[in-house]
Amino acid sequence: MDHHHTHSTNPRELQMARSMCWHCQSEVSGEYFCERCVKVQPVSKDLDYFTCMNLPRRLTIDLPQLEAKFYELSRAFHPDFYQNKSEAEQAISLNNAATLNTAYRTLRDPIQRAEYLLDLEAGAVKEIRTSPPADLFEEILELQDTLNEFRTADRTSAAGQELRAKLQAEQRILERRKQDMEQQLQQLFADWDALQDRSEATSQARSERDRLLKQMREILSNRTYVKNIVNDLVTTIG
Amino acid sequence: MAYSDKVVDHFNNPRNMGSFKKDEDGVGTGMVGAPECGDVMKLQIKVQNDTIVDAKFKTFGCGSAIASSSLATEWLKGKTIEEAQKIKNTDIVQELNLPPVKIHCSVLAEDAIKAALADYQKKADTK
Repeated sequence: MDHHHTHSTNPRELQMARSMCWHCQSEVSGEYFCERCVKVQPVSKDLDYFTCMNLPRRLTIDLPQLEAKFYELSRAFHPDFYQNKSEAEQAISLNNAATLNTAYRTLRDPIQRAEYLLDLEAGAVKEIRTSPPADLFEEILELQDTLNEFRTADRTSAAGQELRAKLQAEQRILERRKQDMEQQLQQLFADWDALQDRSEATSQARSERDRLLKQMREILSNRTYVKNIVNDLVTTIG
Repeated sequence: MAYSDKVVDHFNNPRNMGSFKKDEDGVGTGMVGAPECGDVMKLQIKVQNDTIVDAKFKTFGCGSAIASSSLATEWLKGKTIEEAQKIKNTDIVQELNLPPVKIHCSVLAEDAIKAALADYQKKADTK
């Protein structure tokens, strides 16, 4: 991701984001349509989804605004409107529509939005090293064993019933834990946004930023592990 | 997506599934996870005189993750600690014919090997 293109409010960076219309070679600066020849412009690969949707890069976003922008751009890029246009324009509109869909789906979901923002802010997800939650892993693997036992057990037998009850209890506990994690994430999201709004360049702000990124990364990962095992529980015990 | 025959074979007949007691003498335990997909892998080695005499795994994940760890335990058995360090995820990719989207499963297996070796070393050093 090229970060030069992401803050359209900074005039210096806007300068750098300038490029040419593929059709009439006049200058375009991030607009989706050329001001002179009105041809559709390809959405830059370097454009992050927040900028693409004209939203500030925050973890709490205005969902109605996102939806409105999505519909507006969907209409603008819809391939149906390009059937009588040139091949180049058809290809651009199709690509733009695909990018737009991905951007919308990513930003609409708070968890995916956070994963995406973490990618933007901290590079590849894997680069933030978190210690693997060994306790959680042990628990998951043990639970998988019980699940396997249940899969092969006679479900109508007393032992089978007992296993089911045990797994159901585990499922409730894990679902509760997932909710707790989501609540913690909500708080971290709010803290992150507040930090961004203050936009301080102190070393204190930097370490706070790193702390929040690391914590979000950790909880998001653990939530994925828990979510997976809960899904497995739900599909197996029904 | 179709799995290669070797992946299917390891998946259907996993080698060395199970576990050792963590605190047993000469046992090293590696526990790793892939936050992107939620896979969890536990790989254990049992070492005598610098040689891995036994290896076991437990993996919760997709077929490729199970096959990768199953293959890893097969390879580990009989190897010295030094030889085991040299196992690379690319070897696993090659042997199992993993497609690009499943390469992270082999990375997970390599991480698990490294973690198990490190755990064994740590335990040996503190004795």
